[in-house]
Amino acid sequence: MTIVVAYKWAPNPQDAAVGSDGSVDFSRAKSAISEYDPVAFELARQVADATGAEVVGVTVGDASIDTSLARKAALSRGLDRLVIVADDRLAGADSTRLAAVLAAVVRGIGDVDLVLAGESSVDVTEGQVAMTLAGQLGWLGLNAVSSVSATDGGYAIERDVPSGTASMVLTGPAVLAATTDAVLSRVPGMKDILGAAKKPVEVLSLDMLDVSSAQVTLTAVSASRPAAGNRQRVIIDGSDPTAAAAELVGALRAAKVL
Amino acid sequence: MTSDAAGPDFDVVVVGAGIAGSVTAYRLAERGLSVVLIERGDVPGSKNLSGGVLYGRVLETVFPHYLNEAPVERRITRHVTTFLNADSAVSLDYSADGLAEPGNAVTVLRAKFDPWLAGKAEEAGAFLMPGVRVDSLLTGPGLDGATTVVGVRAGDDELRARVVVAADGVNSFLASSVGLRQKQPTNHLAVGVKAVIRLPRADIESRFGVSGDRGAAHAIVGDCTLGIGGGGFIYTNTESLSLGVVLRLDDLLRSGHTAIEVFEHFTQHPGLQQYLHGGELIEYGSHLVAEGGYPMVGEVAMNGMLVAGESAGLAINSGLTVRGMDLAIGSAIAASDAVVEAVAAGDTSKAGLAGYRRRLDESFVMQDMRTSARAPKFLERNRMYGPYGELIADVLQNAFSLDGTPREHLLNVARHALRRSPLTLRQLISDGWAGVRAL
Repeated sequence: MTIVVAYKWAPNPQDAAVGSDGSVDFSRAKSAISEYDPVAFELARQVADATGAEVVGVTVGDASIDTSLARKAALSRGLDRLVIVADDRLAGADSTRLAAVLAAVVRGIGDVDLVLAGESSVDVTEGQVAMTLAGQLGWLGLNAVSSVSATDGGYAIERDVPSGTASMVLTGPAVLAATTDAVLSRVPGMKDILGAAKKPVEVLSLDMLDVSSAQVTLTAVSASRPAAGNRQRVIIDGSDPTAAAAELVGALRAAKVL
Repeated sequence: MTSDAAGPDFDVVVVGAGIAGSVTAYRLAERGLSVVLIERGDVPGSKNLSGGVLYGRVLETVFPHYLNEAPVERRITRHVTTFLNADSAVSLDYSADGLAEPGNAVTVLRAKFDPWLAGKAEEAGAFLMPGVRVDSLLTGPGLDGATTVVGVRAGDDELRARVVVAADGVNSFLASSVGLRQKQPTNHLAVGVKAVIRLPRADIESRFGVSGDRGAAHAIVGDCTLGIGGGGFIYTNTESLSLGVVLRLDDLLRSGHTAIEVFEHFTQHPGLQQYLHGGELIEYGSHLVAEGGYPMVGEVAMNGMLVAGESAGLAINSGLTVRGMDLAIGSAIAASDAVVEAVAAGDTSKAGLAGYRRRLDESFVMQDMRTSARAPKFLERNRMYGPYGELIADVLQNAFSLDGTPREHLLNVARHALRRSPLTLRQLISDGWAGVRAL
């Protein structure tokens, strides 16, 4: 059996600049594994260690996602091997297109009964790819997954739902999007990184994949900052704690909060 | 567990993928040694900060065509030194196109330059390991009874090596953890605050009088640092400026100002607005700078370990130029040659690695460190940062403001100006002589 981790090599929002018009500039951002995804690597490794399954990382995107740094970053997180589609025709691809390419890769790997992913990407933050991938594959898709463990012939799943936690048992292939706190993901150590360099990487050509194409175009029109809210912008000098506390209480009373 | 029982994982562990670390790793890998280059940042260059001028001739000895290959910003053909007063400025402007061919000094942005350099090490066969913070050194007793470094530890993992090269930056914690280097006095350290501001290419070229891939480096002393020992700089990149202040730590502490306050005073100084206005801040950072000069170098090798670059206190602030990256490259050349020699001889003890210090002493690195050995002391003379600029401006004001009264001989003007200035002729002569000896 094979478990696929579908992840994104995404620009880090910490390096992004927000313009005065609300536009976000990622041009100076360094890329890394999208921060929602390490949890998917960790869950996959834990399930695979229990079942003996192989863990294959899959990522798709433009040519810049295939660097030695990017390969090591993924392979040091518990993968057995990596499959990449890196093609500039995928630059700026929407979630449906990315999911279609991922689906073609998963079908090509074969013998996959579980795809794990993060809830969203750090840069686009649509939270669509995992569920669209499930749709493309014709598999069950579940988001908000907080726990996965192997059972006889299937998986025991827990989901975070508004009323609490829902437990369920799954048989048959599925795509699961894990919550960011589903499991504590390990930071790769030196031995993990050294080991990563020895693991196989397969680079697939986009042309060789059977990708369904939807005739949809999505164009960003504008972006705006969230409303700043009604802030009073009062700063209280805290060098004398007693006076500061009294001033704070006074300010809160004046604002009719107390 | 001894190193003999386990056997090394690599010939050499290099800690820090900055200039010194990457050049060392490149040259060792080129010579067939197994090398791992460990970097704390997720990407080389993400944690590094320097003013931004690389005196790159020495890099040509390692990469002959680096100027065409590496992400360099501009070739500096214009050096301007300015005494800045509250409402006047006196500049010395040296410009020569000959400085571009071959490239004498270039501006670099470390976020681009360091990944390129680390990439060269990786291409040569070094194993680049970013995102790993080395927690401590692995040590054991050496044949001579003294501590021997046998590897590094990060988290639960250990890597063993015949030699560890510590290129982990100023205040190298690896070197101090085994007593190779001591904590430096505050007059040996300066704090640098630097920003990069984006500015359209055309604005840079018109404001700084440069074009094409040519650029300017401005060194500024005086009111821009609120009189604190140190100076300011503005360097032109392709489509941005690197600017900042370097402040002597002891003088900064004495002044009661924070480095940020001084930096803001600098960026808002009316004398600099002609260069900076309209720029958009895109990067900001702060860094300790080794400024102790020659006395700060001290020990650079021990059993199983060398320190290179800034970690070895290699930096020169002559007042006209601030250098670190070229010295880092020079030390990397000396370190890698010494390590190759020691590994081949099977002796990586302090004695086996002695070739490092010898090569360093023979190279331009220590010769320049010695030549400018007096510069730090000279720059500690605080008159440099206030009264001089005012005195010169006073003289020039008299020379240039023709108000219809008969002109005096310039020497007389200077004499009167000096009388009005808090400076004495004796201080002037003393500082002048110290300056000549230091520079």
